[in-house]
Amino acid sequence: MSQPADVARLKEQIAAIEPAIRTPLDGPYDITNDLFRTLMQIDHDLGGEPAVSVQYLEKEELDWELNVYVTCETLGWRHVWNSEERRRLGNCELGRTMYLGIPYYGRWILAVAMMLLDKHHITLPELTDKMDEVRARYEGRAA
Amino acid sequence: MSSRYNVGDRVTIREQFSIFYTRTQAYTRGRMGTVVQQFETGLIPEDEAYGNEDGRVEPFYKVRFRQADLWPEYSFPADTLETEFSESWLLPAREEP
Repeated sequence: MSQPADVARLKEQIAAIEPAIRTPLDGPYDITNDLFRTLMQIDHDLGGEPAVSVQYLEKEELDWELNVYVTCETLGWRHVWNSEERRRLGNCELGRTMYLGIPYYGRWILAVAMMLLDKHHITLPELTDKMDEVRARYEGRAA
Repeated sequence: MSSRYNVGDRVTIREQFSIFYTRTQAYTRGRMGTVVQQFETGLIPEDEAYGNEDGRVEPFYKVRFRQADLWPEYSFPADTLETEFSESWLLPAREEP
């Protein structure tokens, strides 16, 4: 006979591997109005979607996460953007795969980059050059 | 701008189709609730999200729903959910069936 704790663990493991129903899409020539409506569903409006059980873990903010937060707030105080623009970019315009796949403050800093590019405060080559420079620094090479 | 609704009014959430951005949850649309709080007027989120500082300004309201009115299989009749809307998302409540 299983102990109750074993049963709970078993249920969690089943939930983690249960099959997902998917309809592959690859740039179809035609879509129905119903599929259009489904695709236009706004990514941060998740309430009521079916989901498997989630394990809640306590987590302290890391230094980089606090730095991202302060960066976003400072850009707000300087009237470069507002928090609703941040939500549109970081919650709704990344697409569902990135919305679900990228850590919370990772989406915040991607929203900063998108906004600074959109508003012509930086250029894309400036951003990608800086990313190369930082990566080289972390790999122990001269930038 | 004067408020169209008062605390205690029954309202139905508009079933407008949204694209790109909204703060109005899909599960509230077409549902009936009760105004429980009024807020100062402010820029609507659909304009604020594009940095449109000269956009539409409306009163905001907190609306309370019965959870059982939002989720068909919800089995705890006393539970409620509160969320906020700008005024144009609200309509006077339809007649109760």
